[in-house]
Amino acid sequence: MTARPIAARATLRLAALMALAVTVLSLGAMALQYRLVETRLMTAQRSLLTADLDGLAALYDQRRIIALRQAIDYRATAATGDEMLLLMDRNGTTLAGTRPDWPADLAPAGEGFTSDNAITFTEGSTRWLAVARTLPGGFPLLVARSLAPVDDTLAALRRGMLGLLGALLVAGGLVGGLAARSVMARINRINDLADRVAEGQLDARLPGARSDDEFGLLETHVHAMLDRIQNLNRATHRLSDTIAHELRTPLNRMLQKLAKIEGQDDLTADLKAEMRQAIRMFDSLLDISRAEADQGTGGGLVPVDLSTVATEVWDLYEPLAEDKGLITEMRTIPGLTILGDRNLIAQVLSNLLDNAIKYCAPGDSLTLTLTPDSDRILMRVADTGPGLPDDLKAEAFDRFTRAERDRATPGHGLGLALVRAIAARHGARLTLPPTEKGFALEIRWPRLQQSD
Amino acid sequence: MDRILIIEDDPETAAAVRAEAEALGCQTDHCDTLDAGVAAATSAPYKVIVLDRMLPGGDGVDAMARLRAGGSTALILILSALGRAANRVEGLEKGADDYLPKPFEPEELRARLRALLRRGTIQVLDNDLLAFGDLEIRMKARTVHVKRAHVAVSPKEFELITYFARNAGQIVTRMQLLENVWNLHFDPGTNVVDVHVGRLRRKLEEAGSQAIQTARGEGYIFAPLPAPA
Repeated sequence: MTARPIAARATLRLAALMALAVTVLSLGAMALQYRLVETRLMTAQRSLLTADLDGLAALYDQRRIIALRQAIDYRATAATGDEMLLLMDRNGTTLAGTRPDWPADLAPAGEGFTSDNAITFTEGSTRWLAVARTLPGGFPLLVARSLAPVDDTLAALRRGMLGLLGALLVAGGLVGGLAARSVMARINRINDLADRVAEGQLDARLPGARSDDEFGLLETHVHAMLDRIQNLNRATHRLSDTIAHELRTPLNRMLQKLAKIEGQDDLTADLKAEMRQAIRMFDSLLDISRAEADQGTGGGLVPVDLSTVATEVWDLYEPLAEDKGLITEMRTIPGLTILGDRNLIAQVLSNLLDNAIKYCAPGDSLTLTLTPDSDRILMRVADTGPGLPDDLKAEAFDRFTRAERDRATPGHGLGLALVRAIAARHGARLTLPPTEKGFALEIRWPRLQQSD
Repeated sequence: MDRILIIEDDPETAAAVRAEAEALGCQTDHCDTLDAGVAAATSAPYKVIVLDRMLPGGDGVDAMARLRAGGSTALILILSALGRAANRVEGLEKGADDYLPKPFEPEELRARLRALLRRGTIQVLDNDLLAFGDLEIRMKARTVHVKRAHVAVSPKEFELITYFARNAGQIVTRMQLLENVWNLHFDPGTNVVDVHVGRLRRKLEEAGSQAIQTARGEGYIFAPLPAPA
């Protein structure tokens, strides 16, 4: 469940990255276009300036300064504001022009009417492309073209690009978000399915048809896996049923035939006891497998009054313990409830109490206590018997583990393995706390909080 | 004469069941597939159906609903190799009246069949007072008296003696006691039940009643009245 926000972040991050990549690429394309427009516009202004200079040069060729002055006067009168013309004499007196004085920071350079080495300068808020010359005889001449149209166009272009950039980011974010949402919706479907399966619904499947894309393929693969797991699970259950059938049917024939033997009662009783032990061992094995297969799934568990079950099983075994001379004590408070399987819990207690009674000697004590805390119920079975040999503690819960000294005692070494499997089936924690003497086992069952 | 239907695919088991049923004076029919069994069960009034589980045609437990839907009112005893506690509880929860795992001892089957055949024919349990000669059980007060003297019994011992009383005169097995008095459906390995019966029996004997007797190799019999000679 905690993995869900991380998955969502990953999808959103991918969407954001996509939007950003599209924006950066568009920005590059726009920058290229911007440079192109700027160059074109500057070239156009430069050729206008060249044309002006060519015209003035033609007039100068005819009648020198006088013609220039007349022409400039004439053009100054019809001033458009797009051009700047100024002719002075060698003393710095203005002869003709669109302005009375020479602009600061601009020194005349070279002679002649070429447009080479044109320079740009700024006056007020307008940029100018200018050619400043000193004509023969010391007459400074300034011819300039306003760059305002160029700058205006470029400014408009920049505004347009900024707007487009904003629109791209918004659109990218929107599309990315939508895509992420649709991807999340489809991934969540599969995640929900996985959760349902984890809760034990092995037959849960996604409804509807598979779409013809990678998600559909993923769903198909998940379904194929689930089918396989379900088949294996069914096969396991079927196998344990089949084993039961194939083993118990011949045993049953043997038992029917045993019943016909007369006159050897002790021998037939022994044989029956052996058969009963074999069946018990074999049932324990199947119970362990089933409990392990069902582990982690809540299926089949119902509210069970642990206090009552414990008391019932205790009452069943206590006379046996008393008859053997054990000092017995049980402490519990009523009404401690867990989600469980009554028969399995009874089997746990039966195994533990039976073990204790089997291994303890007269005078030993045997106690069963149930103590609740906030979310667990602690069940403790303790005795002062011989306890577990140290070398056995690590594998006490493994199947078929038996101490060397107990070879003479009947048993099959499955009791504690079954206890562990059943505890795990209930999500209970099992521990072997250290004891001064004897054996103690603690099971912490998850407590069922009463809603009413 | 009570009729018993045996639905069982193993011929030897079927023969063993038939022998026990006929020893109890019943007329038996035998089917070896589930479908034939269901058809037979709904065609004649059987008192008891002995039903196997893993049969050609399916699981007997799943067929119980079909038997009931077909109008059969027979008591159902499941006799199956699926004998783990979980299997037994499943069968009983799905409506079986009794569940006996294979392999079974003939005495055990006989006791179960007898209990089923007697079911419904005895009314005495509605009474507050169950009297067996000089032994009296008062249901409401939950007390036991022998020769008018009160015998102190624990709550479990009281349940034990009422179960015995319900099956008075019949052999009751340890497995039956564990299932019906303690509601436990697994084999605990040791005969824990014997200790309880022994205690109850001693208490009754001290008060002068020989009501509980051991049936050798089979279980116990509650026979408070001298057997009719």
